[in-house]
Amino acid sequence: MEIGEIINSALVGSLKSIAQIALIVIPLMICIEIFKEFKLLEKVTVIADPVTRCLGLSREANLPIMAGLVFGISYGGGLIINSAREGKLTYREIYIINLFLVICHSVFEDTLLFAAIGAKWVPILFARIVLAVIICYLVAKFVLIQD
Amino acid sequence: MMIETLKRGFNNGLATTYQLARVVIPVYFIITFLSHTPLLHVVSDFMSPLMKLVGLPGEASLPLVLGFFLNIYAAIGAVLPLNLSIKEITIIAAMLLMAHSLPMETAISKMTGVKVSFLVLARIILAFILGAFFNLVM
Repeated sequence: MEIGEIINSALVGSLKSIAQIALIVIPLMICIEIFKEFKLLEKVTVIADPVTRCLGLSREANLPIMAGLVFGISYGGGLIINSAREGKLTYREIYIINLFLVICHSVFEDTLLFAAIGAKWVPILFARIVLAVIICYLVAKFVLIQD
Repeated sequence: MMIETLKRGFNNGLATTYQLARVVIPVYFIITFLSHTPLLHVVSDFMSPLMKLVGLPGEASLPLVLGFFLNIYAAIGAVLPLNLSIKEITIIAAMLLMAHSLPMETAISKMTGVKVSFLVLARIILAFILGAFFNLVM
């Protein structure tokens, strides 16, 4: 293949993919801003109730987990630090929330980036959530977590 | 206020797209050029036994490593020129979603005050387990 053809194919290929991704990312970011503006997440943290209860965490864990799932790990991490500073979470709880979120976070943005390039995203998302719950459950139940 | 919110979301989306483009385009170029040199084949042959475990070709180790150490954007830039099948893209997407941006995200966990060694190890191991799982069931 000639060098010009290689440059051409790389340019077209990369720009096309970025356009595809932009079509997903821009509407998604608008949705996320609406969520933040109207504090919608704070209103639906009960969704996390079955998970936090199953893992033996207090309800205080709901918001960091939901925020990490929807907005990403840095956002969730910030809320963990806040709650911890106010003494509302134990070390054990902080550890389990971290474990949950490193396995499964920013489920819309990251997942859709791969959907844009052709991955089957539904089974992946499902698998991540299930794995996060199972691993956290096992660690919470059988591993002694201490400071 | 609603207009402001929409504008902010739109701008965030553009900013993310720009960040992504800044990484994806150069990585895409580098991998495309590499694929026309023997170097990619050398790496590919070397990594192919490990990658076989998850049903991926040896050269898919490049986006995996880029994703682990840098971020998802770099990984996407490297996945695209490899012309993987839908099944292979799904496998590598699952692995990368499980383990990516490890230095940066681990730093965030560390800031919350927990010990992080197990967290990192768990992500890498789970990435391979998940990859092998999708290879089997798809």
